Amino acid sequence: MDALVLEEVAKTFSAVRAVDQLSARVPTGSIYGFLGPNGAGKTTTLRMIMDIIAPDSGRIEILGETPDSKANERIGYMPEERGLYRKMTVRDVLTYLAALKGMKRRAASQEIARWLGIMTLKDWADRKVEELSKGMQQKLQFIATVINDPDFLILDEPFSGLDPVNLDLLEGIMLRMRGAGKTVLFSTHVMEQAEKLCDFILLINKGKTVFDGTLDQIRSGYKSNAVVAELDGDAGFVRDLPMVKSTTVNGKRLEVALKESADSQELLRALVGRIRVRAFEEKVPSLHEIFVHLVGQSNE
Amino acid sequence: MSKILIVAQKEFLETVKSKIFLVNLIIIPILVVGGIVLATKMTKKSMEGPRPAKTIVVTDLSNSLLPDFESAFQQYNKANPQRLIVIKPAITDDSASPTQQVKDEVLRGKIDAYLVIGKNVVKGKDKSYYYTKTRNMMDLVQFSTVQRLVNDAIANRRSIEYNISPQVLANIHRWVSVEQVDLSAKGEGKREEFTMFLAPFFFLFLMFTGVFSVNQQVLTSVIEEKNSRVMEVILSALSPFQLMAGKIVGLAGAGLTLVAVWGVAGYWAASFRGMSGIVTVSSLAYFVIYYILGFLLIASVLAAVGSACNTIKEAQSMMMPVMFIFIIPMVLWFNIAQHPDGLLATVLSFIPLLTPMVMILRIAAHPELSPLQIVASILLLAVSVLIAMWASAKVFRTGVLMYGKPPSLRELLRWVRYS
Repeated sequence: MDALVLEEVAKTFSAVRAVDQLSARVPTGSIYGFLGPNGAGKTTTLRMIMDIIAPDSGRIEILGETPDSKANERIGYMPEERGLYRKMTVRDVLTYLAALKGMKRRAASQEIARWLGIMTLKDWADRKVEELSKGMQQKLQFIATVINDPDFLILDEPFSGLDPVNLDLLEGIMLRMRGAGKTVLFSTHVMEQAEKLCDFILLINKGKTVFDGTLDQIRSGYKSNAVVAELDGDAGFVRDLPMVKSTTVNGKRLEVALKESADSQELLRALVGRIRVRAFEEKVPSLHEIFVHLVGQSNE
Repeated sequence: MSKILIVAQKEFLETVKSKIFLVNLIIIPILVVGGIVLATKMTKKSMEGPRPAKTIVVTDLSNSLLPDFESAFQQYNKANPQRLIVIKPAITDDSASPTQQVKDEVLRGKIDAYLVIGKNVVKGKDKSYYYTKTRNMMDLVQFSTVQRLVNDAIANRRSIEYNISPQVLANIHRWVSVEQVDLSAKGEGKREEFTMFLAPFFFLFLMFTGVFSVNQQVLTSVIEEKNSRVMEVILSALSPFQLMAGKIVGLAGAGLTLVAVWGVAGYWAASFRGMSGIVTVSSLAYFVIYYILGFLLIASVLAAVGSACNTIKEAQSMMMPVMFIFIIPMVLWFNIAQHPDGLLATVLSFIPLLTPMVMILRIAAHPELSPLQIVASILLLAVSVLIAMWASAKVFRTGVLMYGKPPSLRELLRWVRYS
């Protein structure tokens, strides 16, 4: 069962086709990365999923329902443009948002107390939001997003502006959600986080799908049959080995391109007898490189 | 529906707890009521309280009237012991115009006035003069009293010359009182000009201040939600229409609270002056209907404008032309209250933004206003409210997520048509 289904969803603003016949499926219990350069249509798509704007055509189904504010009660959404009522107290803001998410008063106040404890904001409960530091406001924003114990977490550029502590905190929340069988969808153009967290990736550009699949799938298309090694001593002989096509020195590291039929293990065996090997790994293209390559291709 | 109420409750409480609301709630009635009560007490005191005796120096060029004056003033003083006017004959008495010394005495307040009676006044010739320094209203009242007493005394003298007994003269001059009865007022009660205009003005003031003091908050709260970027967080939990409706309902509640307090204070102040009769149950009922509809109409316009803007300043400059319209009834109120059935009043009643103010003014000024016009204006207003809310919801939906340059009027209309 898929937590989210998009079928040929399209949205046009004046003359700009923001989202163009986009289809995707987000499996329940996964962390799903929604990647693309600025202006690719990520935020527009997320807003349509949240029923904040309506698609021109196509079908959206979230947690088995058509998007509306009732369905949204089971979703935690953190938009890219985010903030809270500055003049309200921490407790009042959370109580208000919980009520809008359909929570009963008592359940809400228990959850609020629990989350303020987890985020070490307990002493700030009755202070105004504007008195909190930026980092504390970010934590509060996380609480506001998950206060209704959502089955589906949708985050738009969640990592922008986070300090390392809050970054870890947010990653922890996402992993715990997946551990509890819930679904997480986030958009980003920071590839490291996507690489680290995502089970599935949807890469879009100009409103259209560029790639849709798992991290391994996207990488397998970019096997380069190359190795990066860190060697002690004179490594000049490596270039002349039979399986090697060429070598490049990159600081302390040596990048070795292998001939097409050659296996990296042959190279390793050939090295071990003659020189000290400190590090040896198959060169896998980073998501960042693939991203730049794919987006560049689709722009042509 | 329940989400609308959650928003309404928050907006209501936030508004009611704000300092500016408390100031509006308490200070304005205190100023108005206090002003009325104070003014009433002061006038009562100065009208009825004792005043020091006034001294008037008289030069009688006719050389024969002084005794008549003295008896006339004595009679007056007996009837008005708190308003004594003492007349003294002048020492030098051969000149029509006062000497510098006398002028100085009047100016310094040593004597209150210098009265010169013309030589042939009994024959109806020559003028008399009353030299004084007018300091306040009471001095004017005193002048007319003196004028009356002088004329009475001279008339008396003439009656003797014509051989008419003073008794006959008194009978001829006996005052016939004519009382004004207003048939349009309920119970054919007495109505003075003053109170006839007070009630309409009271209602107009209540409507204007009540609608605008709280309604400004619609603008502020939408813009605040945009600025603090909480808007999209909220919109993930409820629809833009629910948000807008909740705000308007909550603030309308705060507005009703405000005018209820003001209304009670005003009624109390009116009854203090014995004028509670001017506020009728039906005019109160109409007030509530027009107030709610008027509030909703203006609130929807403000919500749309607020959603399209990023700062209060932008919003205010966009609202300028609209606000201009509301000056019209404030400027023309006297005219409308004087001719509540006139063409001007009727035409203005059917401009939706003005309907509440103009209609409540007319109803208060003219309780027998045609029911057809009342019903028609309420219907027109209700339809306008629905249209305004529909259009505003569309602008709101688009506007709340727009940042940057505020849209032109043309763009706003496009939002209404296409979104």
